[in-house]
Amino acid sequence: MPSINEEVKRPVEVIERYGKCLELIPVDKYFKDISVGLYVKDAVCTIWTYSQVDGVPKRLQTIRDQMIKLGDMEAIPNTHNQVQFTCGSTHSRPLKFLLSQAVTKPPIYRHAEGPMTISDTKSPLTINVQPYDDDDSQSLYQVSVSGTAKNPAMRLRMILAGFVRYGEMDKTEDGNIFFTCRHRHDNLLKLLMPYSRNISSVEGMIAAESLRGQMTTGTLGFSQT
Amino acid sequence: MAYTDTMTPKQRVLNALNKKPVDRTPVANPTSVATVELMDLVSAPFPRACQEPELVAELAATGYTELGFDSISPYFSIIQESSALGCEMQWEEKDNWPTVRMYNPIWKSAADVKIPSGLLNHRDMKAITESISILKNTYGDEVAIIGKTMGPWTLAYHVFGVESFLLGTVDDPNETIKALDRLKEISILFGQAQIDAGADALTFPDHATGDLVSGEYYKRFLQDLHTEMVDELPVPLILHICGNTIDRMPYIAQTGMASFHFDSKNDPQEAMDAVGDGIGLVGNINNPETLYAKGPNEVREEVYRCLDAGVQMIAPECAIPLATRIENLIEIPRAVKDWTSEHRN
Repeated sequence: MPSINEEVKRPVEVIERYGKCLELIPVDKYFKDISVGLYVKDAVCTIWTYSQVDGVPKRLQTIRDQMIKLGDMEAIPNTHNQVQFTCGSTHSRPLKFLLSQAVTKPPIYRHAEGPMTISDTKSPLTINVQPYDDDDSQSLYQVSVSGTAKNPAMRLRMILAGFVRYGEMDKTEDGNIFFTCRHRHDNLLKLLMPYSRNISSVEGMIAAESLRGQMTTGTLGFSQT
Repeated sequence: MAYTDTMTPKQRVLNALNKKPVDRTPVANPTSVATVELMDLVSAPFPRACQEPELVAELAATGYTELGFDSISPYFSIIQESSALGCEMQWEEKDNWPTVRMYNPIWKSAADVKIPSGLLNHRDMKAITESISILKNTYGDEVAIIGKTMGPWTLAYHVFGVESFLLGTVDDPNETIKALDRLKEISILFGQAQIDAGADALTFPDHATGDLVSGEYYKRFLQDLHTEMVDELPVPLILHICGNTIDRMPYIAQTGMASFHFDSKNDPQEAMDAVGDGIGLVGNINNPETLYAKGPNEVREEVYRCLDAGVQMIAPECAIPLATRIENLIEIPRAVKDWTSEHRN
């Protein structure tokens, strides 16, 4: 029975060196179906796979570069697969979405240029986000909706709740939101906009993803439902 | 005082199965601890790692070499026999379990049940028996090799379809008993082949699950049959049934099987009380909520709860989700060793 290549890092070493696996994409459809994990230690994120197929380092670098472009992260010098947020925080929940986008979207995918706006999926409204700094030079985002719809104030509350939930953001008394690090992360916020507008749909998506690969009486067809 | 192993993993598991003393509670794996990351580590992805003996063995061995479990289980899924019998298969991809398309069953009645000649030579049967031989040659002296042969109740779901089979238990129970009696020959045949290949113990999944059938159903249709298996298959048997099974545990405890692999829907202490001294328990770390979605601290808490209750072998409750984080799996043996250190003297 062939053994594991001696140059390959074993799981115990990987966890010791790179930290906790925050998110795992089981299959990378853009590169030979490898699994891609995001390991985090001391706010440094390592994009990792145990696969040893040819071309892995280049693919990990592509994913890393996507995380920089889509999430305002910065590369760790002299590495091909490590990044961190410039603010020094980890932003765990948004990071999960960021890795997912970096792996599952085409490598040429970019956020739309220009103002931070997006159509609401539950009303005819448009969601607008405007960054600004307060008197203490802390960065915040003002979220508003435009257009005509029934009860836009309620929609706005739901959208803000989405940012708080998926961005791990906080809300000011007057309804503005901010990342807990109080820094600007405009591209990360753009990435969160599609998720924040529809919590129930995102929760359904997360539940469906988590069910894949589970062996239960339900997934095996051994249940009444 | 720090704990130090004084037994091999194989001795530990076999002693626990045979109700003999152990240096610490073994961490066993009656079903599967395969993950997508481990598949990448040894270049053995599903579904090929369910079909090719070398890949089956490579992936199975990681449960011992990388995770630190005391056993190796090479039969990851529950479909090998059914595939060999001719059931329509959905092999899926690396990140999902192969399944039988039960909406298109191959048989209608007990009279249809026939064991094809050369069944054991089918690719998906040899994948398991040959992988056991490979593992036995490589790890046989140090680690317990646990095979798996599906019980007749599970096979019946696959070959007759779940709904059709369960309706039959109401409409014509004698026909059901006849079908189970014929299907059990497949369980024995495949189980014996794995013993011949070197399996030290066998898991015997028979999905009379808590959400589908009652404890009384278990007693009526399966208790005697499972008792018979103990004589037919001369290695320790580990019965596996998912769901809340407290109501049938007293019956299971009378079968003479060595161990019952129980689900996290059952409280460990309540399960221990239900089986008494009749059968050992193995389990029951929760898969979807704990191993898949939480972290090492929560895993450790569940391990401790099982150990405090006196569960004889610690394991995930069932085949783990394929995207389970490795750190959570590694935590299981670590927690067992720490608990043992804390409870010495």
